[in-house]
This record gives sequence, structure tokens and C-alpha cells, in this order.
Amino acid sequence: MDVLLTKSKPTVDTEKSSNQPTNQISGSEVLLRCLVEEGVDTIFGYPGGAIMPVYDALYHYADKLTHILVRHEQGAIHAAQGFARVTGKAGVVFATSGPGATNLVTGLADALIDSTPVVCITGQVFAHLLGTDAFQETDVVNTTIPVTKWNIQVTEAKDIANAVAKAFYIANSGRPGPVLVDITKNAQNEMIAEADYHKCESIRTYKPTPVLQLSQVEAAAQLINNAKRPYILAGQGILLSGATEELKAFSEKTGIPVACTLLGLGGFPSDHPNYVGYLGMHGNYGPNLNTNECDVLIAIGMRFDDRVTGNVSKYAKQAKIIHIEIDKAEINKIVKTEVAVNADAKEALQILLEKCSKNRHQAWIDSFTRLNNIEYEKVIVKEFNPTGELTMGEVINHLSNFTKGEAIVITDVGQHQMVTSRYYKYKNPRTNVTSGGAGTMGFALPAAIGAKLGVPDKEVLAVIGDGGYQMTVQELGTIMQYQIPVKIVVLNNNFLGMVRQWQQLFHGKRYSFTEMQNPDFVKLAEAYGIPARKVEAREDLQGAIKEMLASKTPYFLEVVVGKEDNVFPMVPAGAGVSDVLLEEPKD
Amino acid sequence: MKQDFTLEIHSDNNFSVLNRIVNILNRRRVRIKKLIAHEDEGDFRRGVAVVLLFTTADMIEKVKHQLEKLIEVEHAVYYEGSELYCELSSKHTEEIA
Repeated sequence: MDVLLTKSKPTVDTEKSSNQPTNQISGSEVLLRCLVEEGVDTIFGYPGGAIMPVYDALYHYADKLTHILVRHEQGAIHAAQGFARVTGKAGVVFATSGPGATNLVTGLADALIDSTPVVCITGQVFAHLLGTDAFQETDVVNTTIPVTKWNIQVTEAKDIANAVAKAFYIANSGRPGPVLVDITKNAQNEMIAEADYHKCESIRTYKPTPVLQLSQVEAAAQLINNAKRPYILAGQGILLSGATEELKAFSEKTGIPVACTLLGLGGFPSDHPNYVGYLGMHGNYGPNLNTNECDVLIAIGMRFDDRVTGNVSKYAKQAKIIHIEIDKAEINKIVKTEVAVNADAKEALQILLEKCSKNRHQAWIDSFTRLNNIEYEKVIVKEFNPTGELTMGEVINHLSNFTKGEAIVITDVGQHQMVTSRYYKYKNPRTNVTSGGAGTMGFALPAAIGAKLGVPDKEVLAVIGDGGYQMTVQELGTIMQYQIPVKIVVLNNNFLGMVRQWQQLFHGKRYSFTEMQNPDFVKLAEAYGIPARKVEAREDLQGAIKEMLASKTPYFLEVVVGKEDNVFPMVPAGAGVSDVLLEEPKD
Repeated sequence: MKQDFTLEIHSDNNFSVLNRIVNILNRRRVRIKKLIAHEDEGDFRRGVAVVLLFTTADMIEKVKHQLEKLIEVEHAVYYEGSELYCELSSKHTEEIA
């Protein structure tokens, strides 16, 4: 990372010489100063005509702002997401107008559904050309309204600072999300008087953090104290709120078992005695089955996504549901709650900790263990100790063991994602980065770039399928240019594996356009100057993983895995969580 | 069972705010029977939209919360029936007349 650490050329002092009066600066420079004031140090971007004035001003900010030139704007926004997920700070993106901006749409949608703070700055045509179908003009504001938490178009330089301040405040507060600021070229060029920057601290119409109602918490505590089989479902809200210690303390005091959603993984240590597993469509057997056995379900910072509930009409009907959630629109949206605690998770847990009694539910926790042992015998043993082709599970198991569950693991979307969620033993918060709600293939490679730049002293592994890898493989160029030492593991089965699995199980094994002919991935990585290796034999696997982890440079490892392996357990589409399958149905 | 509801939304009057409001309703496929929107007489930076919708009680409650998530929206309140739509829309019309 030496190239990166010394900052890209030119290393020019920010007190640049210019012909304009010293108390006048351009709108572009206003923007950059705002970013610096907001604590931004890294920008992921791709220049173009409509944002050229900003890039020109950026030329003189090399010592304060590191710009990472990606190879596609979608790479930029996924990188910003990876950065945001591991640091908790908003990721920042620059893109030009027209196709540059529309290339951000997928990433914005992804960031919105997964509550990731991202601030995108897009260039726009001159204000007098708006609505005239000018070159590279698109109506970015209306295009991105459905996929942003907020957006705004700025047509005058005097409005830039206020817009940027609001953007960061909105992106980072309450339930975080992506924000877009579209700046016309005239506003970027316009000269205005310098002024102090004021961070946004409130917006009249926006109430990001609800006022906790003590009566709600007391009602929840009463239910919990009287529960016989209470069960905590921990979602990403635990991580966003920084409530991992509170959750651990709460679970330890009350003796309540904890399962995590996909985006909640890492929010509770996987080696804790009260941790019972990962829940959802490919989650662990115990957490899924016992959802319909508990008497009090405590959902914290999760939204009852359909991947978690399965058929909602068969979901936890016997339980009284307590929903602790900062976003009021999520409460009672999918499941009916008995007690709604509309609050920040950390704040709610701190008070619950005081109000709840010390308790133990060992027999209840043991019931999870018995069910998980069944899963271990029927599924996991075969996955970790196969006799034939390499399995995804054994690769992930080795990765987890060699990194002691402490690496930052970025997954793409598909079977490998589910396998990693099941078998990588996450211990720490903000170490699991994946596309949850949108399931965006191609997410992992650029997100790994952003994650590595966000926490450079941590090992960052990108685990990707052969399909998703090729959606954003151009970002190998970014890795090459900045020598970003991410470790890329492609689990190659020459199929769009998850779709193939569904075609096998539910569509009579009609593999309609899911088989992939792939290039030589090793040669491709080497063309980008990245050391690469391919493993097909079991005896080579552990050595190759160790070699990859020992590398100080970027490294690419392709592992050829079973072509038609399936991921189990599985809650089939339309089924309830109690109908979870441990193996392929006999018929 | 679906019925008429009158939804009153108070918000900042920014470009695209109506678009944002209608998008929420469209996404849920809520039928919009009538809509009136105007700036506040004393302050053009604020405005009101009054919408007559045909939907279920469960849906109007969910839509209200989703509308209140919009940054520009200060608050949204709904009433059963359409009588209040006529009253509110004529009240606002009188204010600007």
C-alpha cells in the first residue's frame, strides 16, 4: 500500500496560486473543503465532462483527499459501501452526469436497503441546459428518488455547502442510507466568497432518533422476565448502533439465546455460549426451527425480511413479539408486534438491562444445541470432510480457522455467500460485509477495495462466485493501480450456482442458462499483475490458502468446487421456517 | 376492506417533493382519487398536500409511516372518509384565494 500511503501525484500544497482574489473560491473548492471538514479522506470516483471542474480543484487537494480511480462507477459506489460498512463513516463517491450517474443506481439501491451511509456527488450539465436533453444530461434527481434516503440538485455555488452538510447529516443519522448531491457545472465553476463551514446538526422536518418511551421498554421487560423460552434475533441495527457490548451483557444477564441475521453476523460473538447460529433461508437448523417454539421473540435492529421469515403466515404465530427498531415504518410492517420499542438499539438495551431480571434458560439453549447437532451430522460433516470434489464449506472452514474468525470477509451473492455466512466464525463487529437486501452480484470485489482502504491493518478477504466475479472484474485494474492487498477467493463451479440449485430443486433440473463458460481466471489476474493460483486438488488447498494469507500484495486464488453441490439447510420458497430442509427432498 | 381515506401531508416545499410523496403511494399501488397541493400562504418554503386515497386501514397506516420517513415531510395525518378532503381542500383554496 506504499503507493497509496504516499498519496497519488500531484503532491501540491492546497494553498495554490491563482489569479482570483484570495477570498473568492469556486463552487468546486467549496465542495472539497466541505468534504475535508466532514472528515472525508477517501473518495471513490470516475471523472467526466460534467464533473471536470471538481476534478480540477481536486488536483490541488492531493494531500488531504485520496481519490481512488475505479474502472466503473458501480465499482465506486460498492467500494464506498465497503468502506462505510467497516468504518462506520460515510463512503464518498464522485461521478459525472448522464451514464456516470445512472451507473450508481444499483449501488444506491443496495445501500438504501442495507442502510449503508454513502454520499454521492454527481456532476450535472449547466443549469440553463437542464431539461433540454443536453449531452450526458439525465434527470438524476428523479431517477434516484426511489433509491436514496435523500437527494438534491444544486444549481448555485452558494447552496453547495448547505447541501453537503445536510447530505452527511442525513446519510449518517437515524437509520443510515445513501444520499446524492447533483451539482450543475455552472455551480462548480462559480466563484463565491469564502465562508466558514457549518455542519448540519438538525433539520426541521427530520427526526432521526426517536425519543425512547420508558413505558414501551417496561412492557418489554415484563414480557421478558416472565418468558419461558425467550429468543433474541439480532440484526444489523446492533452494529449500526454500536450495541454489541450491550447485547452481550443483556444476553448474559437474562440467559437468552441469540441468533443473527445475515447482516447481523458479527454483532454477537460466534463463540459465545449463548450464540445459537445464523437464521434465515440457509441458516442453521436450530435457530430456524426454534423460531416457532419460542414464547417471546425479541427482534433487535432487524426488519423481518422474507429471507428470515419464510412464509409469514407460518412465522412465530405462537410468540409474543418485541420489536426494538429505530425505523418506525418497520414496526408492524411484516409481523404484528406485542410490544414495539421505537428506539435506538443501544439506548433500548441499556435500559432493558436495568429492567430485566437475571435468569438462565439453559434447557432452552440446549434445545438449540441438539438441533444444531442434527444439522452437524447430516450436513456439516459432509461439507467439511467430503471425499469427492472440493466443497465450498471446506474452503470457508479453512479460511475461518486460519484467520481465527478475525478477518474482514466480503462476500458476493449466491451459494458461496450462504456458505460463508454459515461457516465463517465471525467474532467481531463490522467484519461481515455482504449485499443482503438487494443481493447485488458483483458487489464483493469493489467492496473489498473500499474495506481494505477503510481498515488497512486488517486482513480483507473477498469470497466470490465465478458469476458475480465477472460482473465487476474490471476493478482488478483498481487493485493493480493502487496495489491494494485484498485477497480474492473465487469459488468456481462453472454455474450460477444458487439459480442452478433452485432449477434443480423446483424446476425439474432444467438448467436454463445457468452454466457458465469461464476464462482462465489465473491468467486474467496475472494480466493485472496480481499473483494468482488455481487449486483443484484437496491436498493443495491448505497450502494455497496459507500462501495467499502470507502475501503482502493482492492475491487471487481460484478454487474449483463441486459443480452441482447444493447449500443446505434450506427453507424453500413459500415454506415456513419449520419446514426447513436438511437435504434434498427424495421426490 | 378498502375505503376512502383523506391524507394530509405537511412538508417543506422543495423541488420533487410531490414526486417523492406520489412515489411512495405508487410503490404500494395505492389508488389516488384526488390530490391538491399548495404552498403555505405565509411561507412558500412549506406546503401541504391533501390526497384522497382508496385503500385499506392497514395500508394507510403503513403508508403514513413511510411518508414520514421522507426527509422533507414534517408529518402526515389521515382521516377516514372523503368529507374531510373537501373541507381541507376548500380551506386551503380559500387561504390562497
